[in-house]
Amino acid sequence: MDQLRTDEDQQLVARTQDGNAGAFDQLVVKYTPRLYGLVYNMTSNHEDTNDLLQDIFSKAYKSIRGFRGKSSFYTWIHSIAVNMTLNFLKKRGRRFHLSLDDVDASVQNDKEFLEVTQTSSPVREADLSELQRRLNEAMMKLSDEHRAVVTMFHIQGMPHAEISKILNVSEGTVRSRLFYANRQLQNYLDEFRKNPVT
Amino acid sequence: MEEFDNNEIGRLLRLKRYEQPPPGYFENFLHEFHRRQRDELLRQPLWKIALGRAQDFMMSLNVARIASYPVAVTAVLLCAAVISLKIYQTTPAPNVARLSPIVPAQQTTEGGWSLAAPVSTRITVSQPRTHLSTHRTTTPPRYVLDSMPVSYESSLRF
Amino acid sequence: MRWFLIPFLAVALSARAEDQPASAISHEVKDIFDHCKRAVVKIHGADEHSELSGTGFFIDPTGTIYTAYSVGGEGSNFTIEFDGKRLPARQLVTDVRSGIAILKVDAASPSLPVGKSENMEVTTPVIAIGYPLDLPETPSLGLIGGFDRKYLGYYFHTTHLRVNVATQRGEAGAPLLNMKGEVVGIVAFTLENNSSCYALPIEAAEKIRSDFLRFGEVRHGWIGANLMQALDTKAGSSAEVTEILDNTPAANCGIHPGDILLQVGRREIHQPDDIIDASFFISAGDNVPITVMRGDERLTFNAQAELHPTTEQVQRIQRLQHPLMIAQPGTNQPSLPLSLEKAPERTP
Repeated sequence: MDQLRTDEDQQLVARTQDGNAGAFDQLVVKYTPRLYGLVYNMTSNHEDTNDLLQDIFSKAYKSIRGFRGKSSFYTWIHSIAVNMTLNFLKKRGRRFHLSLDDVDASVQNDKEFLEVTQTSSPVREADLSELQRRLNEAMMKLSDEHRAVVTMFHIQGMPHAEISKILNVSEGTVRSRLFYANRQLQNYLDEFRKNPVT
Repeated sequence: MEEFDNNEIGRLLRLKRYEQPPPGYFENFLHEFHRRQRDELLRQPLWKIALGRAQDFMMSLNVARIASYPVAVTAVLLCAAVISLKIYQTTPAPNVARLSPIVPAQQTTEGGWSLAAPVSTRITVSQPRTHLSTHRTTTPPRYVLDSMPVSYESSLRF
Repeated sequence: MRWFLIPFLAVALSARAEDQPASAISHEVKDIFDHCKRAVVKIHGADEHSELSGTGFFIDPTGTIYTAYSVGGEGSNFTIEFDGKRLPARQLVTDVRSGIAILKVDAASPSLPVGKSENMEVTTPVIAIGYPLDLPETPSLGLIGGFDRKYLGYYFHTTHLRVNVATQRGEAGAPLLNMKGEVVGIVAFTLENNSSCYALPIEAAEKIRSDFLRFGEVRHGWIGANLMQALDTKAGSSAEVTEILDNTPAANCGIHPGDILLQVGRREIHQPDDIIDASFFISAGDNVPITVMRGDERLTFNAQAELHPTTEQVQRIQRLQHPLMIAQPGTNQPSLPLSLEKAPERTP
């Protein structure tokens, strides 16, 4: 399946480089949902995500002539997305507000949602939506770089190897950032667990 | 008291996939992208657009090394010379109105410019591009012409 | 004394003769444009994303407008610009399968005569008249480049005209005219940097309108069989039935997997994708004779087409969303089961 994706992307990239704007449109349509998830979970703001996505694709379109295929298009566009988002977050600093998307109703059918709410776990004793809100807060307390790896690994489901290519760091660095970030999130949620705000 | 472990954290984080933008957001994204590209193009100075086009032309000739700035600038200067000569010639207003990205339309509150106007009153290279404060305030509609059919079959059946 | 003028006259006449083909084409195109442009309208609407703008044209004197589904299929608050006026328009019927939407204004209108796209050939010149962007009606001259059933690996629901004519955004729904000024297609979508486009043949649009007049809704027909390329050709056909779906007209009429299709309705089948047009022009309720080769035997079966499953799903959704937009079956005109062995009847 990955090979199929790569082949299809290669064809679309080649056609874009030949001047076919419609081919780039297809890449936009294909990658928007995925990149949305990445950027949104790093910024926790829908409006910022929308602006960033436009800028990301604009930059990709302008630089695609220089794309030589050393990495896959998937890795390349994700690198652009992560780097632009990190730069944006540095400029934004602490002046932000959460602008969270609604949770789609299809979560009710998610296997893990059912496990989380029905099995014996700390979650069963807390309101899940309040917990999710706390999780979002905890995410924002992470550094931008740690939030990036947490988003890519846990939310986007990318393997360590892919994340290391995108961030241009070693796999060891990815693993240690994840380890640290997980611990931070655990600590914060445990604190909530012990001292829930009523 | 139970604590959150890595698995729990992972599960909770994965549920964040269901936080989705409003319905129709992804469908509208491409249109918005096109609109921004057009706006960006209209804001670019003419020399930059011409340079980009000269570079694209050189790249299309498979002479990537030659598509360097000096060559592109020379090509732009040549084109500018040709355009300047043409501007001083009288040409009839064309029957077919086409939007040319090299000559962007600007509107002023005095209602001066339009693409239907004769060539001699259109914006030329020499005019300054500082009238964007009078750029139209309403968003133009989406001009429809898709690049894919609305529906198709993946296999032959009847 | 005037004999010395003869050489000059000869030169002048020959020069004029060289100009004639070019000026003749220009005059022809201008005539067609001047004659037809009044029947071409700019369409405004809005959907959940934004306001939209496209092109359409009158097909009869009572204000019926053909346009592309991408313009008039999913929006609302439609208006058209006609004769310097802005008139409200309502959706009459929309069909995603064909890619057409039919709107209606309550006004007397000029209309474009209907031609035949089946008379077109590759290199036949055609003219599109559309409203690009925010510009006035604009003609474009081009050539038929091909007749395609497939695009980027997917099959169209009916053969589309591929036209080497430059089209701009806003021109979806524009009419494609032959050099007699008859409409032969509707601009559907563009390809390759807008330098060429695909057009729905006018016969497909007329089929949709015919269904609407007969039944009050679109009724794509369905037989229920899948096809593939056979290894061998039999009786001039390589279209092999590979699967018969349960409880479908195909299952009920006696066709078997392995049968080689020779004719469906009035259309001969020589290769699998010939079924595309044969299938598109079947309406639900039609009696469809199907001729096959089974071994060395030539057999004919009669299938009664049912409503195409996709059409049914779409109509169910549309009825839930717009209960007044599509006529309920049985409440408008009665449906007329039609045998393709005789000429179609039309309800008044």
